[in-house]
Amino acid sequence: MREETRRRFHDDLAQLQTTLYREADLATAGVARSVEALVHRNDDLAHAVIDGDDDVDECYLDIDRHILEMIALQTPVATDLRLVSAILHTNLHLERVGDQAVNIAKIFLLTQDLPTDATILSHLQEMSDIVCRMLRTAIDSFVRRDLELCVRLPEMDDPVDLLNRGMYLQVLRLADDAAALEWGIQMNVVARQLERVGDNAVDIAEQVGFLLTGEFREFTDASHLAEP
Amino acid sequence: MARRSDLGSGVVAIPGTTATHVVRAALRGKRFRVGDYVVQILLLMTLMIALGVLVVLLGNVAIRGVPVLEQRGTNFLTTTNSTLPFLAGVKQGIIGSLELLVIVLIFAIPLGVGAAVYLEEYAKDTRLNRLLVTNVRNLAGVPSIVYGILGLIIFVEFLKPLTGGLTVISGGLTLAVVVLPIVIITSSEALRAVPNSIREAGFGVGATRWEVIRSHVLPSAAPGIFTGAILTLARAIGETAPLLLVGALLGFFAPGNVGFWGQLRGPYTSLPTLIFSWSTQPNPDFRNLTAAAIIVLMAVLLTVNAAAIVLRNRYERKW
Amino acid sequence: MSESGEYMDAPTVTRSDPSERSIHLERRGRERPEEVLEDASFVFEIKDLEVSYGGVQAVRNVSLNVYENQITALIGPSGCGKTTVLRCLNRMNDLIDGARVEGTLRYHGVDLYEAGIDPVEVRRRIGMVFQKPNPFPKSIYDNIAFGPKIAGFKGNMGDLVEESLTRAALWDEVKGKLKTSATELSGGQQQRLCIARCIAVQPDVILMDEPCASLDPIATLKIEELMYQLVSHYTIVIVTHNMQQAARISDRTAFFTVEVEDDGHRVGTVVEYDLTDHIFTNPKDPRTEDYVTGRFG
Repeated sequence: MREETRRRFHDDLAQLQTTLYREADLATAGVARSVEALVHRNDDLAHAVIDGDDDVDECYLDIDRHILEMIALQTPVATDLRLVSAILHTNLHLERVGDQAVNIAKIFLLTQDLPTDATILSHLQEMSDIVCRMLRTAIDSFVRRDLELCVRLPEMDDPVDLLNRGMYLQVLRLADDAAALEWGIQMNVVARQLERVGDNAVDIAEQVGFLLTGEFREFTDASHLAEP
Repeated sequence: MARRSDLGSGVVAIPGTTATHVVRAALRGKRFRVGDYVVQILLLMTLMIALGVLVVLLGNVAIRGVPVLEQRGTNFLTTTNSTLPFLAGVKQGIIGSLELLVIVLIFAIPLGVGAAVYLEEYAKDTRLNRLLVTNVRNLAGVPSIVYGILGLIIFVEFLKPLTGGLTVISGGLTLAVVVLPIVIITSSEALRAVPNSIREAGFGVGATRWEVIRSHVLPSAAPGIFTGAILTLARAIGETAPLLLVGALLGFFAPGNVGFWGQLRGPYTSLPTLIFSWSTQPNPDFRNLTAAAIIVLMAVLLTVNAAAIVLRNRYERKW
Repeated sequence: MSESGEYMDAPTVTRSDPSERSIHLERRGRERPEEVLEDASFVFEIKDLEVSYGGVQAVRNVSLNVYENQITALIGPSGCGKTTVLRCLNRMNDLIDGARVEGTLRYHGVDLYEAGIDPVEVRRRIGMVFQKPNPFPKSIYDNIAFGPKIAGFKGNMGDLVEESLTRAALWDEVKGKLKTSATELSGGQQQRLCIARCIAVQPDVILMDEPCASLDPIATLKIEELMYQLVSHYTIVIVTHNMQQAARISDRTAFFTVEVEDDGHRVGTVVEYDLTDHIFTNPKDPRTEDYVTGRFG
C-alpha cells in the first residue's frame, strides 16, 4: 500500500462529509416531522422543527467556511475538486430543504384552527414519505459513491409531481366552505414546498453523478441518465 | 520544550527555561580556546620561515650585486661578455633570453592552446583520449634536461637545415617543447572552468561548435589561459639545463656575433646560462657579477610578468 | 533537406500568417472553447519515441502531438524523462555522448532525425530556454545580437534587439543600459533576457525547461504572463515541476511517470496526454489522478 501524502487534507475532507451527512439527517428529519405535526395536529412538534433548523444552519455555515478555506489553501484538483464542488452544492440544497421544513411547520401553526380534509392530508403524507425516501437515497448514493443509486432519483420524483399537480383539483373540491378553502390553499403551498424538497433531492443526485463521472448532466423528469 | 543540555559550553539549561541570563551564559561559551591560538601561531611561524628563506637569499644577492650595478650602471647591461670582470656585461644574455622567449611564445602557445581546445571541446571521452591526457600530464613532469637531449637530436642534428644547428632557434624550440605540456594543462583547466551552461546557451540559439568556442568559451577562458602563459614564461626564462645541451655558449664569444640578428643565426647565450658560467669562474670578482646578473634576471622576469598581467586585465575588462 | 523551400533560407522562417487562420488567438484564457483548441494544426508529431544513453533505455513509448500556437506542458515526478524528451525536440541530445533516439519525431511533417538534417538549423527554428538563466557574460546587446549575427542577419540589428527585448517584456527595464553586462540583471530579468535571445533568431517554437525553477514567485508570474503573450506568435513546450503552473498556463498537459523494471532499472514514459482542464478535473488514468491530487506516495 503506497504511503498516503496529504493525509491532513484528506482527513479534513472526510470530516466535512461527516458534517454533511449529519446535516442531511437533520434536514430529512425536519421534513418528516413537519408533515407529521401537520397531519397529527401537534404544535409542540412544529415548534421543535422550527427550533431544530438552527442545527441545520450551523452545519451549513461550518461547511461553507471550511470549503472556502480548503479551496484557497489546498488547491484541490481532479477527484478532490469534484468532491469539494459536490459538497458545496449539496450543502446549499440541504440548507434549503431545512428552510422548506420550517415553512411547512409555520404554515401549520398559522392554520391550526382551520377545518382540515382527510384526503388532502393523506396525499401530503404520501408526498412527504416519498421525498424523504428520495433524500435518503440521494445521500446514500453520495456516501456509497453509488452511480446506480443516484440515477434512480428522477423516476422517484414522478409520483411527487403527479401528486403536486393533483393538489389543485383537491383544493377546488373545498370551494363551498370559505374556511376550508383557505386551509386548502395553504395546503397547496405545503405541497409546493414538498415538491421543491424532491427537486433538491434530485439536484443532490446530479452532484453525485458529476462527482463519480466527471461530467455534469441534468436529470430531467422524462429522460434517464445514459451511462457515461 | 526542547532540552538544551547539549549547549556545548557546559551550561545545562533547565528544560523550560529561556531566562535571559541562562541564554547569555550559553552563548558566551568558553572565553579562551587554547587550541585555536596555538594553531594560529604555528601557521604564522611557517609563513615566517618561508619568507625568511626568501629574504635571506635575496638579501645575499642584493648585498653583493647592488654595488656592482651602482658602480657600472647601465654599462653593465650594454656591454658584452668578457674574461675581465670589470669589462663584462649581460647584454648578450638579455638578448638571448628575449629571443628564446619570443620563439617559445610563437610555438608553444598556439600549439598548446589548440591542443587543449581539441581535448576539451571536441574529443570524445574514449580510452585512447584518456590515455593521451595522462601522457600529457606525465610529460609535464619529465626533467627538462631530457628535453635537452631531445632537442639536440631533433632540432640541432636532424633539422639542421631548418634551424641552423646550434642556434637560438633550436634552443627556443627545445624550450617550447619543455613548456608545451604545461600550456596544455593550464589551458585545459581554464576551458573546463567555463560553465557548460554557456555552451548550451550558444548551441540553443543555433551556433556551430566552433562558433560557440570562438565567441564564448575562449573569451571566458582567456584569463585562465593568459595565466598559464605567464607561468610558461616564468618557467622558460629560468631554464638552463636543456639550453646547455643545445648550444647556449658558456664562455666568451666574439664581439662580431653580437646584437639581435647576430645571435639569431649564430652562437647565443641566455641570462641563466651566463649566470651559471660566471659562477664557475675562478676569479672571485665574478661572484659579485653573478649576483648583479641575478638581479637583472629577476628584473626581466618581473617586467615580463607585469606586462602579461596588464594585458590579461585589459582583456578581462573588454567584455 | 526538405521539399519545402522554407528551410532553405535562414535566418528568417516564413510562417503561415496568423490572421489567415480562422482561429483568432489574441489573449489566451480558459474561456476559449475546447473545439478551438482541437482544430489547431500539429507542429510536432511524436510516435513511439525511445531514448537511450549508452545503451541504457531512459524513455520509451512516448507518443503525442504538439499543436501550433498552444502551450503544451510536460509534468511528472523527477527522472521520468520530461527533459530528455524536450531536448529531443531540438536535437540538443546530440551533444551528449552515447545518446540514441529512436522512433518518429516530425516537425511540420519533416523527420528531424533523417539524414541530411542539420541540427544547427533545427536549433535556430526550435529555440530553448533553460532552467537556470544562462546569459553570455557579455553586454545585453551582444547577448541578443549573437544569434542573428551568426545566422547571417543583414538587417538593422538595433531594431531587432529592441523588438526582441520588447517581445520579452524587458525593453523598458534595460533600454538605457544595453551595453552593461547581462550578469548584473536580476534572476527574473536574466531569464527574460534569455527568452529575448531565443526570440531574436525568429524561431517557430520555444522550448522551456523549468524556466521558473530558480525564480521568486513574482518573477515567475511575470514569465507566465509573458508566455500568454508569446503563444500567439510561437508554439511553446514547457517542462515544469510546478503543477499549478502547468494548470494555470498550458492548453494541453502530458503526464510522465517512471516505470520500474524487474531489475530495478527505471524508464520514463507518458501515461496520459489531454487538454489541461481534463487532466486537472477528470483525469482518466489513476496514476495521473494520484499525481495531480498529491496522493502520489
